[in-house]
Amino acid sequence: MARSPIAVVDGHVRHGWEISARAAAAELTLRDESPLAKVVVRGPFAGSVRSRLGVPFGRIIRTEIPDQGPVLVVGAGPGEWLVLGPVGTGGGLVVALEKLLSDTGEFVSVVDITHGRALVRLHGSAARQVLAKVTGIDLGDDATPDGSALRTSVARIVTDLVRDDRDGAVSYLLHCERSSGQFLFDQLVDAGAEFGLDVTGFDTGPGTVADGRGPR
Amino acid sequence: MMLLPCPWCGPRNVTEFRYGGRAVERPDPGTTSPERWRRYLHLQKNPLGWDTENWYHSAGCRRYFAVQRHTGTNEVRAGEAST
Repeated sequence: MARSPIAVVDGHVRHGWEISARAAAAELTLRDESPLAKVVVRGPFAGSVRSRLGVPFGRIIRTEIPDQGPVLVVGAGPGEWLVLGPVGTGGGLVVALEKLLSDTGEFVSVVDITHGRALVRLHGSAARQVLAKVTGIDLGDDATPDGSALRTSVARIVTDLVRDDRDGAVSYLLHCERSSGQFLFDQLVDAGAEFGLDVTGFDTGPGTVADGRGPR
Repeated sequence: MMLLPCPWCGPRNVTEFRYGGRAVERPDPGTTSPERWRRYLHLQKNPLGWDTENWYHSAGCRRYFAVQRHTGTNEVRAGEAST
């Protein structure tokens, strides 16, 4: 059984992971999404990798990887992409992505980092105000519109910050090293307390990838 | 607070960066004299005024780049592109 780096409340085993069955009623929620498959792709900044993944540095796109289903591709850095897929698809994604990029002639590396990172979603109309307490980034619509991605320091932790509005509300994905996950989570819970933030379970709320919960 | 103009990420707080030393030309270690190599490694100028430096964006794009910084006032302007 796999475990998220973030302590699970009211946990049970599903999809091969220990996940939380909690369902918060609050409008502002924090959700641990670490069970999602995470694959990092590296290649030239501008070239066939970028055109085949369909997204440049600083943006995100929802797409399909052949035989692997829906994924969210994040242009995480110059020449670096993060692919988020349904639970349990990490190994399959690596094979499919290597195949997809095998004939580009470019130097490409594809690595499954599912168990090496933490991923959380901060969701709700006050998410911006919460984040503003722990990062120096301009969170306005002009600088960081829906669909933008960047890497910065959040609560002093190096974090991929992705704005991915869902269900008409502002929503952010935060992705950091596994060993920093619990700390980042605790910092966000603390920063969100004054806005009524509540922690919710993996199976609640809008999914990051369509059908992303894996087999029940 | 110091803002550094990262060519990839835009202006960011200096706390996201690591100082990478003065941008000085590296002699070819295969052909240079020991004396010149020693100077390159160990003897640093510390001028007062505008100087060109390398910085590493450790909490962002993880790339090196060069900026010009006035060592007296910490005023910063974009420098030559670094490899």
